[in-house]
Amino acid sequence: MEIRPILSALMRSKVALVLIGLQIALTLAIVCNALFIISQRLQLMGRESGINEVDTFTIGSLGFGTGFNVKTSIEEDLAMLRGLPGVAAATSTNTVPLSNGGWSTGISLKPQQRTSSASSAIYFVDEHGLDTFGSKLAEGRFFTADEITFRERGDNTWPSIVVITRALANRLFPGESALGKQIYLDNEGAPQTIIGIVERTQVPWLGFASDEGPDAEYQSTFVPQRISFSNFGRYLVRTEPGRRDEVMKAAEAKMAQINTSRIVREPRTVEAIRAETYQEHRAMTIILIGVIVALLAVTALGIVGMASFWVTQRTKQIGTRRALGATRGSILRYFLTENMLITSLGLVLGTVLTYGLNYWLMANYEAQRLPLVYLACGVVVLLLLGQAAVFGPATRASRVPPAVATRSV
Amino acid sequence: MLKMNHLSKVYRTHLIETHALRDFSIHVREGEFVAVTGPSGSGKTTFLNIAGLLEEFSGGEFWIDGVDVRGMNDDQRSRLRNEKIGFIFQGFNLIPDLNLFDNVDVPLRYRGFNAAERKRRIEETLSRVGLASRMKHYPAELSGGQQQRVAIARALAGSPRLLLADEPTGNLDSLMARGVMELLEEINRQGTTIIMVTHDPELAARAQRNVHVIDGQVTDFESEPQLRVPAQGSGAAVTA
Amino acid sequence: MFYYYLQLGLHSLKRNPLLTALMVFGIALGIGTSMTSLTVFYLMGSDPIPWKSDKLHAVQLDNWSADQPYRAPNEPPDQLTYLDANALMQAGKADLQAAMFKTVWPLQPENPDVKPFSSLGRATYKDFFAMFEPPFKYGQAWDAAQDKEHARVTVLSSGLNEKLFGGTDSTGKKVRLNEIDYTIVGVLDKWQPRVKYYDLTIGAFNDAEEYYVPFTTAIELQAQASGNNSCFESAKPGWEGYLASDCVWIQFWVQLDSPAREEEYMSFLNNYVNEQKKLGRFARPLNNRLPDVNEWIEAQGVVSRDAQIQVGLSFAFLIVCLVNTIGLLLAKFMRKSSEIGLRRALGATRGQLFMQHLVEAGVIGVSGGLIGLVLTVLGLTAVRSLYKDLNNVAHLDWFMVLTAIALSVAAAVLAGLFPTWKACQITPATQLKTQ
Repeated sequence: MEIRPILSALMRSKVALVLIGLQIALTLAIVCNALFIISQRLQLMGRESGINEVDTFTIGSLGFGTGFNVKTSIEEDLAMLRGLPGVAAATSTNTVPLSNGGWSTGISLKPQQRTSSASSAIYFVDEHGLDTFGSKLAEGRFFTADEITFRERGDNTWPSIVVITRALANRLFPGESALGKQIYLDNEGAPQTIIGIVERTQVPWLGFASDEGPDAEYQSTFVPQRISFSNFGRYLVRTEPGRRDEVMKAAEAKMAQINTSRIVREPRTVEAIRAETYQEHRAMTIILIGVIVALLAVTALGIVGMASFWVTQRTKQIGTRRALGATRGSILRYFLTENMLITSLGLVLGTVLTYGLNYWLMANYEAQRLPLVYLACGVVVLLLLGQAAVFGPATRASRVPPAVATRSV
Repeated sequence: MLKMNHLSKVYRTHLIETHALRDFSIHVREGEFVAVTGPSGSGKTTFLNIAGLLEEFSGGEFWIDGVDVRGMNDDQRSRLRNEKIGFIFQGFNLIPDLNLFDNVDVPLRYRGFNAAERKRRIEETLSRVGLASRMKHYPAELSGGQQQRVAIARALAGSPRLLLADEPTGNLDSLMARGVMELLEEINRQGTTIIMVTHDPELAARAQRNVHVIDGQVTDFESEPQLRVPAQGSGAAVTA
Repeated sequence: MFYYYLQLGLHSLKRNPLLTALMVFGIALGIGTSMTSLTVFYLMGSDPIPWKSDKLHAVQLDNWSADQPYRAPNEPPDQLTYLDANALMQAGKADLQAAMFKTVWPLQPENPDVKPFSSLGRATYKDFFAMFEPPFKYGQAWDAAQDKEHARVTVLSSGLNEKLFGGTDSTGKKVRLNEIDYTIVGVLDKWQPRVKYYDLTIGAFNDAEEYYVPFTTAIELQAQASGNNSCFESAKPGWEGYLASDCVWIQFWVQLDSPAREEEYMSFLNNYVNEQKKLGRFARPLNNRLPDVNEWIEAQGVVSRDAQIQVGLSFAFLIVCLVNTIGLLLAKFMRKSSEIGLRRALGATRGQLFMQHLVEAGVIGVSGGLIGLVLTVLGLTAVRSLYKDLNNVAHLDWFMVLTAIALSVAAAVLAGLFPTWKACQITPATQLKTQ
């Protein structure tokens, strides 16, 4: 196609060229970076917590005053929960993955070690902990009922056994089996022996110990204890598939019944907890998708508007071309080619802007370098968008009758 | 070269029918220089549009260079127009965004000539109209007479058999008009058939034959070629 | 003349409704997007107590481990130990001062129809009310003597007072919290700081507390704080061991009425820490801080990174919309070039034509801005449903409405300037000729 004359004609209307080019360049920059952010958030939100999220819910209580007997209350509640029809497993726990609240500590490999070797979330669970969480045991064993103790008010000692996740094992003992090894949850206390390794259990916090690498979010430690140092009691319940919502209601009613000197806190599904924790990422994704759609719409409509104007302005010229022998097809091609050229010029500038924006995000918001594939996607999308947007006006141009040429204006 | 038999053209709106041409017959032979005259609204421009395949006609027969035009689709007519017909408009119709070279190039592009051939033809025709030195200039930098000569160069570049001129001097002062007229006569002498629409009797008088159109009909058909007044200062390099 | 221009502008916009709609829609979308993100951004980060934010200071003392800072590179903890909070309260060197922490207690109403519920409260000192100035509806704060004697007194929020006492004056009545009766000394009016700047450890945009009790009382009752608790070494056993530990869990605010007082207080803190060093605490180099409210909000990263990125992207989006409008306006004005030439031929000056077209651009801007404002309201509704914790933040106030209108008119006029200037360059003669 006749690129040079189209280009030289374009150069005669630089303002229009600059405006459309700038618009396309900015659109490319925003769309590419937004797509990149979206894909990262989707990846983040898509990570598996390693626990059964579908059939589980948490429920808790808050007892009144100093006379409240936490220990018996916990034992009664657990017995009741495990007896409920539809319940597959239940455990006391201080927190659950992704709940955004809990206990974390630094783990040492030697007593009196000055800085800890790894950070870890602590899950205080009983012998049903693993079964209720639904995490897979990779090596060793989980706790037995007689190993479970109470963690009392002001109690600073730790039990002698723990189960840790594979991510934590790999960080503490890279390249060797962690099973049977000793670690220190308190560098001034007695050591703990690792009796089991769990495949995967996420910690309660997003971005946990990010300086220890992306796998730090899976560095969890299970401790065979029930917490009795406050009047709070918290349980995780796993139901038979499909019975979660029904069991949840029954559990809440039953708990309120068996002990009245406390408040039963509203049960929450792990799915709801997960959704709340990822809320900001989900929101960001939706907002960015909205921005991309709006931006592409505005740019496409802008191209339609400008192209329509050009067609109207060049009606006489088009008629002349037709009089000189141009077919409808060649007029159509002229406008499509012209748009392709403008878009391409915009995209060249856009590439610079895209990486400029990416650089700004990297410098200020710890973003990563934009992979080329996003730029390529953006370029293809905008080229197609431009062609689609100009197709209407170009078709109109191709319908200009050649007799327009002999009309005096 | 061009033959119309009982041609008619009707414009219809939902209220009225306008007969722009009725029972219009004309026969232009190869090498002729025909002037079509008539008052405004008589159908001159309609005739020219149909002759140049810019518009379709409603009835009758029409041949160009022995080719029957009836029933041709838009693309076929575009191609025929591109190969056989050159246009010269009253308003020049140069494309303001393109320089002279690219303006003359436009029909050649549609013709599909290769680059060397196009370049040769552009340079040849532009020098034929005396503007070879201004190829890189834009239309706005030229006088009206020069612009019309670029338009003539553009019309000639594809070596058409038939040149259609619509008031070619209508927007020019008399001195420039004379230059353009002399150029057309020169082109005609070299063998191109020319049909020129004009309302200027003086110009019409310089043609070999006059066709007068009134109310969409040919009323005055001089079948015998007149003795032509020899052009002054023959040759292409006429100052405008 | 303005009216004539307005008529011409409206007429011209009506003549080409699709193009006009495109331009208005473009500006509206740009304004809607940027105003939504700007509102969230502004309200997140804006000064929650502008009349005295420079006088209120959070106290930070670096009692952390010799081996590592509390937070890289060298940030002191954002809370205090009980030891230090208590010492600073005893010293009372600031104009006003309050140690505080968050509690969650079961509230047991007298009315048997109202079931017990867990309620969010704050244990603090009487100066809390003088410093952060929540408005009182009934009664007042407790006094220094009650702080001293661990009195069982409380101040209720208007919401809790509504729930328990139907909004009547409940001062002198009792409320039962975690099996202990507290006498109500004051009831607040509606009070919801946009940003809960005095305690950012658990959610910057959470609801305000439902009740306030003396700090000393809560400590006596061994009330566990419901906020963050950080230790770099284990505490000694028992409640007393916990209070004597280097665990940080208490927020501490002071009011210092002049820069001189601020300097005095800083040197007091430094002296205090140096004294403590002699006792074997504070192993790190002197690193005490007294950020005021705005510095505190900034340092604690209240404005999320996402909100900042959104503002950046939405303004880039606004620029695209503006460029779009410039192009379309240019197209529109150039299409009218013969009319402009004619007007020039009939004696209109460049200035008059400039004004005429600027008014036309202004009409587009104002209508785009108004629609943009509606879009902003919709956008904020969407933000509230996407971010549940931004309920208190994502609202338009008058300042933002005016900003939106000003922004859109400025944007449209800016977008209109170049096309208008370009249109006025048309000379009368050339346009009367045919193309």
